[in-house]
Amino acid sequence: MRTLKIASRNVFRNWHRTLVTTAAMGFAGFIMILFASLMEGLLQGSERNAVSMDLGDIQIHAPDYREDPDLYKVISDPDRILADLKKAGFHAAKRLYGFGLAASGATSAGVQLRGIDLSNESDVTQINRHVLKGKWLEESDPSGVVIGRKLARTLGVDIGDELIFVGQATDGSMANDIYTVKGILKSVGEEVDRAGLYMQDSAFRELMVLPEGAHEIAVMRPDRSTDLIAATSKVADIAPGCETLNWRELMPVIARILDLADSQMIIMVIITYTAVAMLVLNAMLMTVFERIRELGIMKAVGVKPWQIMMLVYAETFMQVLAASIIAGVSGIALSRYFEHNGIDLSSLAEGASFGGVAVDPIWRAHLTAESVAVPIVFLFIIAFLSVLYPAIKAAVIQPVRAIHHR
Amino acid sequence: MEDHAIVRLEDASKYYRQGQMEVHAVDGLSFDIHKGDFTALCGPSGSGKTTVLNLIGGLDVPTSGKVFLEGRDIGLLSRSKISAIRRDRIGFVFQAYNLIPVMTAYENAAFVLSLQGVSDRECRDRVTAILKEVGLEGLENRRPDEMSGGQQQRVAIARAIVTRPAIVLADEPTANVDSANADSLLGLMERLNRESGVTFLFSTHDQRVMDRARRIIRLHDGRIESDEVFN
Ligand SMILES: Nc1ncnc2c1ncn2[C@@H]1O[C@H](COP(=O)(O)OP(=O)(O)OP(=O)(O)O)[C@@H](O)[C@H]1O
Ligand SMILES: [Mg+2]
Repeated sequence: MRTLKIASRNVFRNWHRTLVTTAAMGFAGFIMILFASLMEGLLQGSERNAVSMDLGDIQIHAPDYREDPDLYKVISDPDRILADLKKAGFHAAKRLYGFGLAASGATSAGVQLRGIDLSNESDVTQINRHVLKGKWLEESDPSGVVIGRKLARTLGVDIGDELIFVGQATDGSMANDIYTVKGILKSVGEEVDRAGLYMQDSAFRELMVLPEGAHEIAVMRPDRSTDLIAATSKVADIAPGCETLNWRELMPVIARILDLADSQMIIMVIITYTAVAMLVLNAMLMTVFERIRELGIMKAVGVKPWQIMMLVYAETFMQVLAASIIAGVSGIALSRYFEHNGIDLSSLAEGASFGGVAVDPIWRAHLTAESVAVPIVFLFIIAFLSVLYPAIKAAVIQPVRAIHHR
Repeated sequence: MEDHAIVRLEDASKYYRQGQMEVHAVDGLSFDIHKGDFTALCGPSGSGKTTVLNLIGGLDVPTSGKVFLEGRDIGLLSRSKISAIRRDRIGFVFQAYNLIPVMTAYENAAFVLSLQGVSDRECRDRVTAILKEVGLEGLENRRPDEMSGGQQQRVAIARAIVTRPAIVLADEPTANVDSANADSLLGLMERLNRESGVTFLFSTHDQRVMDRARRIIRLHDGRIESDEVFN
């Protein structure tokens, strides 16, 4: 307690230096908290876009459908698999894919046709809630389609406009029909944005003459915190003879970026704090040298070296504590602000993507306990490491020299 | 005298190396200091006064010879033992800047006591009494920079004696104060010596200060030139 009292007075003794040091540490901490929560927001957004808008957790395909997405390569018993998956507690939906050309007026574009199992899809992904304009597909309106935002622009269509699809059906005949644009999606990913044409399951089957099977079954765990690998093998057991992959295997780049995010954050923190560490080191070294005489007297009258170290550490601790409070309060405040008021990137980078996954044009922060704790804990660690040298220097002062110093 | 000497130097020497030269700061000194002594260490600048006090106070180690404090050879003690001896058995008064600037007169005077782990209550009683004794009643809450040089030295003396040490080592305690203050500091030390039996060993090159001592050890080039006892 006595140490803390002396330390606190020393901290106020050269208050401008204390202010500069503390403000610098506080500012660095604040920047890191904001950076961490913005990164977290970006990454969570990417994962959400990848998994919750499109992939799902786990996907089942016919064996080499993914290498060569052929209309004929279907999962032959999707309804049995679906039923078993549901029995095992999973959410699952069938999907159909086809390719062709969509045209409106004089313009046309290649599209990826997606046949959606409306009743189940909303349990698996949130694509139905990701509509930018208009509405999602409805059972009652089989000729309504929902399209990607870039596709809408390419074709120059808006809600209520008609478009014509032309393709080849499974029986070799020409598949064509007229549809009405019911909705335009928000950014999901390069593929969907540029070429996604969603229609309901039954409309797809009729158009492409594909009464049976499915190209893909998307599966979602009801609790996403459970083990993905275990869930994947469980799903694989339910769909023998099919290829079962989870989203990490389907999007290895994103998975890797997410995995590395924590260590990248720590590296960033360490780099940024190195500058702070030098400042702390310098400030504390100056304090020690300025007070060399008084520290010498303290040692002469019987203060032990470790007690001197404690004093230097107590002074550092107080400054880091104050800095952490500054960093914490301002970092949390601004992160919260950016959680509610995202940064609008749409003018800057329209439809930017990140490993093939769309980045939301509104970049929102996501504040987690970790994005506050990591910068603050590291602030303490770095400050305490950098003050080791001044503290040792102070502890080993020889009273005789110190007292006759100057 | 047959009683145990508080301090005994036996052929103690301290050499410093300065470039190629070896400075014999203290050169084969032997003398005793007894309980209740009021001794001045005199000599011109560079004669080795400070070095002697540092050797006795365990702030420095002799190059050769022995220094005994209350019968213990301090050359044989560990650093932390010596540091505990300084804390518990020796009072230090330095020439200037004795005090910790961020602490009040009271806190400075109480500093060593609290290092010893003396209870707050006892500490308060003893420090209050000592500060009164050294004439600082009412100035307890002053910081060093709010006191005169003489007052600061009084706080230093209070800190040195409040622990009831075996000996108070004072290195030119009056060198940084005017003569009136020097006089009254010496008067204070004399009174503490006479009334409370505090043993003092102080260095000085001020003739008027020497005149108050009951024993004067004169040094020259690290050797004893004379050692006189007055009555
Ligand atoms: N740390 C040191 N390194 C080298 N030489 C030293 C050291 N300390 C003291 N000396 C030398 O030892 C001799 C004695 O010094 P000391 O300080 O003991 O003298 P003093 O009598 O206290 O002098 P003053 O009256 O000036 O305080 C001097 O020649 C001094 O230069
Ligand atoms: Mg000297």
